[in-house]
Amino acid sequence: MKTVVVAERTRGALRRVSLEIAAKASSFGDTEVIAVKGDRYSPMAWSSAVAEKAKDADLILVGATPSGRDLGARVAAKLGRAYAADCTDLAAKDGALEAKRPMYAGKIRATVKVPSPAVISIRPGAWTLPAGTAAPQVTEIDPAADDPRITFDRFEATASGGKRVSLAEARAIVSGGRGLKGPENWKIVEELADALGAAIGASRAVTDAGWRPNEEQVGQTGKTVTPDLYVALGISGAIQHLAGMTSSKVIVAVNKDPDADIFKIADYGVVGDLFEFVPAFTEAVKKVKGTN
Amino acid sequence: MRFLVCLKQVPDSTVKVKVGAGGKAVATEGITWSMSPYDEYAVELALERKDADPTTVVSVVTVGSARGRDALRQALAMGCDDATLVNAPEDLPALDVAKALAAVAKEMKPDIVLCGKQASDDDQGLVGPAVAEFLGWPHVGMLTKAVSSGDAWELWREVEGGHEVWKAKPPVVGLVHKSDKEPRYPSLPGIMKAKKKEIPEKDLASLGVTASSPKIEVVAMELPPQRGGGKIFKLDGDAKAVAEQVANLLHTESKVL
Ligand SMILES: Cc1cc2nc3c(=O)[nH]c(=O)nc-3n(C[C@H](O)[C@H](O)[C@H](O)COP(=O)(O)OP(=O)(O)OC[C@H]3O[C@@H](n4cnc5c(N)ncnc54)[C@H](O)[C@@H]3O)c2cc1C
Ligand SMILES: Nc1ncnc2c1ncn2[C@@H]1O[C@H](COP(=O)(O)O)[C@@H](O)[C@H]1O
Repeated sequence: MKTVVVAERTRGALRRVSLEIAAKASSFGDTEVIAVKGDRYSPMAWSSAVAEKAKDADLILVGATPSGRDLGARVAAKLGRAYAADCTDLAAKDGALEAKRPMYAGKIRATVKVPSPAVISIRPGAWTLPAGTAAPQVTEIDPAADDPRITFDRFEATASGGKRVSLAEARAIVSGGRGLKGPENWKIVEELADALGAAIGASRAVTDAGWRPNEEQVGQTGKTVTPDLYVALGISGAIQHLAGMTSSKVIVAVNKDPDADIFKIADYGVVGDLFEFVPAFTEAVKKVKGTN
Repeated sequence: MRFLVCLKQVPDSTVKVKVGAGGKAVATEGITWSMSPYDEYAVELALERKDADPTTVVSVVTVGSARGRDALRQALAMGCDDATLVNAPEDLPALDVAKALAAVAKEMKPDIVLCGKQASDDDQGLVGPAVAEFLGWPHVGMLTKAVSSGDAWELWREVEGGHEVWKAKPPVVGLVHKSDKEPRYPSLPGIMKAKKKEIPEKDLASLGVTASSPKIEVVAMELPPQRGGGKIFKLDGDAKAVAEQVANLLHTESKVL
């Protein structure tokens, strides 16, 4: 099976998800890892270049990041290939590919048969990176000519964004909900996240209210996350929030309402006032991690 | 200025999805159907432009069974101008759905085609980029804002840490992630007006589309493993003790700390 892995970079370095995919795909046989030169993803110029380079491949793999999914879909359309997004596993079976992927906003886990040749995006963290894996050899390709009809103009930074690990790839996440009462109280969320080395998430109630940027939203219309540890603070556990985080390995929930739905899926639930618990928990985490 | 919003009808976000009898599809008996959430944002984003400039026309289209009319009516009741139903089997391959939508766009000649970032049934995010590809137009994903500036549009794409602002000359395709405001509720007069509107139908043949693209096939569906039976602690006064207990359990029992 001729496989092309399209690697993604941030600030020059290969993203972890690309390393994960490259490591796994090296067992598929004839595999080449490629990356488009430049650091700003451009749908037109990149999809043309990738489609041209990989048009003979049986399988094109990309990371299921926003850009990777965007690129994969357009490449699949360009080449008229089957496409499966956000897969959590993949194997060859009876001349086709069998993939596992979430459906129905993460409420269902499906096994799908994908006719080859295909384009498939793989969820970050789905294939764990064996320790000591050497970085893959990467073939650099030039993007196609820019499309004159569309040009990048500028970057507008989000006030609080960008400083932390990205939500999609984070191994720990602390999310705040309406129970935090207001944006001024996020300091305690940040302190806990710092102690855990975690990314910060939020419920939609919080992003809708403008307390936190959109990009932090977890759930059906936000990000789907699968960290080792998810800490939900003052989040009720609406079905649309759960859709985005129930596949986390361990869930800790803090809520003053003992009947909150979040407790139905929590491994450790704390019934009580988060303003009392969180600062104490931050200290306790530091103590356990020996960073105090 | 004309928008064409592609929308799909899916199980409502509040539906507790169950696997149907054959194990390869979800049970649909008695469930509530709605416009897919990102499509609702797309409609809202277009209507916000119409609020700013009332000469703007917002059209909506869906490809699928007659049931999809309800989603089109919902869009009309929110304030969209016209709606089209393309009759097609539910299992039409996604790339053929995109071809049908591209054919409708060629007839309507909108300045901007909007799709949702992904439909909340198949969670693919394929149709939008594919519509752009079949039209030969550029596209911008993760769209949260579209502002006209002269003869170009500023299209805001959400990325880690902020937004990239792209300048595009129409026609262009946008894949909507969020709108500025929450999607509006249909007004009562809007609902009355929507009831009276005709929804013309098209068929695939008249658009020159046949079911011919590769298709992915579901072989099995299951619910995520059920969670529950977690340890619950009550905080009565001694936050420190409970905090230390939980932190220790994360370390010794679940080994994530
Ligand atoms: C189409 C659609 C898509 C949606 N997508 C998403 C999505 O992607 N993500 C998402 O999150 N939501 C989504 N929602 C919204 C969802 O339905 C809920 O409204 C939302 O998740 C509620 O957020 P919350 O839990 O922060 O707020 P609330 O439901 O108001 O809960 C706040 C919680 O805080 C607790 N609390 C209050 N004070 C304290 C305190 N001092 N200490 C401890 N606990 C306290 C309360 O007991 C309560 O349980 C969507 C809705 C729809 C219709
Ligand atoms: N059958 C359809 N009819 C109209 N629009 C659709 C249809 N399927 C998908 N779309 C559009 O394409 C987006 C992405 O869908 P998907 O690729 O299925 O995740 C949706 O949010 C819609 O805007």
